[in-house]
Amino acid sequence: MNLEEYRTLFMVATLGLALVAASPALSVVVRFQGSSERFSKLWLLGLGHMVEDYPFNVTVGDTYSVFVGVGNRMGCSEYYVVYVKFRNSTQSLPDVSGSLPSSLPPLYEFRFFVADGKAWESPVTFAFQDVSFQDYSVFVGGVSINGVTFPVNASAVWDSENTGFNFQLFFELWRYDKTLQSFQFHNRFVGLLLNITV
Amino acid sequence: MFVMRSATRLCFASTTLLFILLSALMLSTSASSNQETAIFGISEADYLMAQAHEAVLGAEEVGADVSGLLDRLDVAGEYLAEAHIWYRLGDFENATRFAGLCFDVVEEVRSEAYRLTEEAYGLWVAGLFVRIIGSFVGVVVVVLLCYVVWRAFKRRYQRRVLGLKLEVVPDES
Repeated sequence: MNLEEYRTLFMVATLGLALVAASPALSVVVRFQGSSERFSKLWLLGLGHMVEDYPFNVTVGDTYSVFVGVGNRMGCSEYYVVYVKFRNSTQSLPDVSGSLPSSLPPLYEFRFFVADGKAWESPVTFAFQDVSFQDYSVFVGGVSINGVTFPVNASAVWDSENTGFNFQLFFELWRYDKTLQSFQFHNRFVGLLLNITV
Repeated sequence: MFVMRSATRLCFASTTLLFILLSALMLSTSASSNQETAIFGISEADYLMAQAHEAVLGAEEVGADVSGLLDRLDVAGEYLAEAHIWYRLGDFENATRFAGLCFDVVEEVRSEAYRLTEEAYGLWVAGLFVRIIGSFVGVVVVVLLCYVVWRAFKRRYQRRVLGLKLEVVPDES
């Protein structure tokens, strides 16, 4: 190595060390976003706080419990709403590919804030009221969620494929959009398939 | 006598009818007024909640510890959810009550978030000043040190190269 080459090496080393020394100030101007993806998680757990023991065959008059939870990985605190909706097999579900929520009105709702990297969870108890069976159909007059009764007036016919009178209790995640200044469907939902029995 | 009795009956019937109509009108006006109050209360609480959230985000961005504020906002969120639920069920009194409870909590949180933002911003500016000065001093020290090392290295290199003596090696071939 000749002197010129040594000089170049020294200059590169000096520049590198100067950048390291200037990094505290540079970090204010240059923000590294990192490669981590920003997202929220929505989950539903069974009675034992596990991904099992979900209620399926439900009877009138009994109360059932699940846990709904939301995790925040959006990079800052978020304001969420979880809407609880009830449908029969012919009514609309959210369209995740089109980012559209279900057109059904919400029954119950949860409003909460989650710091980045944290999670929120709440128990949900539900029961059915005013249920009547007639031949091959069932009519549900009301759903009670966390002690509050909502009129639903939904009916279902016998589903021979799933062998039951199937309804679904589902949870949609909405997030407050600061730019739009309103809640937007966050493209996530979870649901419980329920077969109402006598 | 008969005409008088008929007139009295007619008068009584019309008064009763008028009373019923007025009562129905008052009840419907009151229900409508309750609904309007509930709508107003809920939309006000909704708006303030969004503002408080933005204030908390502002405080979070400048490095304030907002965990306490988020806990209180959660409580306010529960009240607001109750207000929306009761409104959907047509219980406007409860909807208004819960919207009011939410409003009280959120107003406090918003003010505290602004105060925390100011405090944290002051600290952030002071920290920024320290970082800029520190970085400047660091760069100057690094450049000077490297220059000194380079000079020393160059002198040693030149002495070594210039100090070399030519040596005649006999051709072995």
